[in-house]
Amino acid sequence: MEIEVTQEKLSKALNNVSRIAVGKVTLPILNNVLIRVLNNKVSLVTTNLDMAIIDYLPVSDAKDGVITVPAKLLAEFVSNLPRGEKINITEKNNKVTITAGKYKSTINGSPADDFPELPEIEEKKAVIYKMSIDEFKNGISEVMVATSNDMTRPALTGVYFNTEDKTLAVAATDGYRLAEKILVKNAESEVGVIVPASSLQEVLRSINDEMDEIEIAFNEDLVRFRMGEVEIMSKLIDGSFPEYRRLIPKDNTIKLTLSREELIRVTKLAALFAKSVNGAIVCEAKKPNHFSIKSVASELGENDSSIETEVENEGKVNLNSRFLSDALNALEEKDIIFEFSNSISPVVLKNKKSNTYTHIIMPLNS
Amino acid sequence: MYNVWDDALAKIQQKMNPSLFGTWFKDTSIISNENGIITIGVKNTFFIKQLKNKYYDIISDALKKSNVDFKQIEFEVKSTNKSKVQPREVTGETIVSTPKGTEAIIETIKKNYSSQGNGLNAKFTLDNFVVGSYNDLAVGVAKNIIKNPGKSINPFFLYGGPGLGKTHLIQAIGNEILRQNPSFKVKYVPINHFYSDLIDSIKKNRGKDFYDKYTKLDCLIIDDFQLIVNKNASQEEFFNIFNDLFLAGKQIIVTSDRLPSQIKSVDERLASRLTWGGAYDIQLPSFEDKCAILRAKADFSGAEIEDEAIEYIAENVKTNIRDLESEFSKLLVMSEIRGLSPLELINSGSTTINHPGKPKQTTSKQIIEKVAKEFNITSKDLCGQSRVSNIKTARQVAMYLLRHELSCSYPVIGKEVGGKDHSTVMHGIEKIEKDIKLDFNLREQIESIKEKIYG
Repeated sequence: MEIEVTQEKLSKALNNVSRIAVGKVTLPILNNVLIRVLNNKVSLVTTNLDMAIIDYLPVSDAKDGVITVPAKLLAEFVSNLPRGEKINITEKNNKVTITAGKYKSTINGSPADDFPELPEIEEKKAVIYKMSIDEFKNGISEVMVATSNDMTRPALTGVYFNTEDKTLAVAATDGYRLAEKILVKNAESEVGVIVPASSLQEVLRSINDEMDEIEIAFNEDLVRFRMGEVEIMSKLIDGSFPEYRRLIPKDNTIKLTLSREELIRVTKLAALFAKSVNGAIVCEAKKPNHFSIKSVASELGENDSSIETEVENEGKVNLNSRFLSDALNALEEKDIIFEFSNSISPVVLKNKKSNTYTHIIMPLNS
Repeated sequence: MYNVWDDALAKIQQKMNPSLFGTWFKDTSIISNENGIITIGVKNTFFIKQLKNKYYDIISDALKKSNVDFKQIEFEVKSTNKSKVQPREVTGETIVSTPKGTEAIIETIKKNYSSQGNGLNAKFTLDNFVVGSYNDLAVGVAKNIIKNPGKSINPFFLYGGPGLGKTHLIQAIGNEILRQNPSFKVKYVPINHFYSDLIDSIKKNRGKDFYDKYTKLDCLIIDDFQLIVNKNASQEEFFNIFNDLFLAGKQIIVTSDRLPSQIKSVDERLASRLTWGGAYDIQLPSFEDKCAILRAKADFSGAEIEDEAIEYIAENVKTNIRDLESEFSKLLVMSEIRGLSPLELINSGSTTINHPGKPKQTTSKQIIEKVAKEFNITSKDLCGQSRVSNIKTARQVAMYLLRHELSCSYPVIGKEVGGKDHSTVMHGIEKIEKDIKLDFNLREQIESIKEKIYG
């Protein structure tokens, strides 16, 4: 095996794949990155047996071969080499030699036979969606805030990709709040799978400015994301996701249009006084044009700030300020819609113009 | 089937490096064995190829040695619901739709507001009244009254702290009398309504109508009698009505939060007459009583709740049954909303439920101070050597409370109250435990101290 590649390209790819190749004591080979050279194409592969990341590097005049080496060590070595340097990698008798100008090191590798074989997706049987990378990135980040990290309810630790009426939506909930984003409006094929949030995190981290489209392929057990030179595969979460569409209240009696920026400020102010009460703040709509957020910390003092907006029906609801902040940060437009019916009904937050994103927060017991 | 796989696993393990075995064969099982095809279930899709391509021979050998007949081995991801559709899940539907438990609670609230003009609410019956050691005497009397209205115990004076079920019990008596004697005129009226009714009639110059309305009754039920304080006019009117009804052998039932003699400005004649039939009280329920009440309530509303959760509420709500039930309802609603069982909700620590009766960090010093204050002495007196009866009783009450509220040991209590011997302490506590059963005033005093400690 022999390849020659620039420091920048190699370092970027190694940094990307080595993130998941850490800390496996039981099976040391999982700390390694697999380097495979075939027909002038280099693939760098890592896996933690829940997911796998593959970065492709185009090269020329390479000699085929395959080997695994400790991923962290290689990534750190390469990233400390001077930028712009040409790096030459050769392998002989499971020893990998890396040369860059006057820098040279030899790393003991392990044969690729020990490296787990990765699952594949049969294109014919798979359900495949394509979308712009920005839409995907925004959509996923907007719903990820609502995922749970309670491992006793695995279905809530992921993002639910599902289709209804030919639209592909992603949704997440932790039981206290729910976020949904519509990704594709004319989806032909149907799907209903839960992708682990941890895998999606890696997908988001792997996205860079040079990418413009993402392809997502599902089969019953596996999802594969392809964007630019990166391919990420992940297991799916076994479990059933709540029928969340039924949770979204349809006819709220109180509908307010609020400036997002102003609401973020008011929420932050109220949160300062809500620490001792687990972030509980009281949101109240009063006729004719008064929306206020109050919080009381018995020792510190209290806060009462308000925003002017048209109010047709009055009402009051207690929310967790952190959840409200999260929701407001996930929304993007200048003006947003804040809807609820009474103190025990969920609060619905949306962008004023686009209707692809819905965020729901359960009220606190008052 | 599983035994066969365990057998095979043991054989596989011998041939492999333990860390490899641990990684690849952990959580595997045989899903099916049909038509010579054995299907092995694995954790996720990343395991399939590895097992198929690298360990097929080892697995196949091990299975053969375990005497399993097969032609082929397949691998599949173990899954509770394979496929890509979404059936039900708990959190889901419960967040918006009104769930069973909540519905029952709302139903109860609605019914509580319906009334039939005689002030009685059909919702209150003896069937849904939980009887325990704290109220069995009162319930026994109630049953006697129902059998013979006006002839057994008359008047029936029932007293006890707020939220212990007095209203429930007397409403139940009214309902039951009416059911057994449909022609009877029964009226339930809280004393403040009686008062405003009287004022109204005086204004309209219809004092006679008012008087007739009440004296024609077969059973008069007066609630919250303690609110009569300083209302001399109504006291006099009530006294007259009381006398007429009593002489006519009609049943009178009165509740109050304390004894008539302890209500300021109540005429002595009235006070003594009210307790002619004896004064019956409802005490605070014990832990077991509270559990029984909650269990009955859960069964009644069809809600599912674990015993541990019930015990948790019973343990933490120390005030009264009303608070107990309100915490219980809150917990149920929260659990429906969160999609957790009540116990999980409690264990998660994320309940926003507050426990009004939960003691604030009480210390032995605070208890002693509160007791001393109640008995109008100083803490120094209480912890001194005086053997004046009042001080001695206060000291014993303090011992009793230290034992029951803080679970202090006898020697520790002895030290706290001024260096008394542990046998003195034991005697003191026993004395209070005995007296409390006989002496209304002492019990009231102790309850009032407890309220101050926990309030």
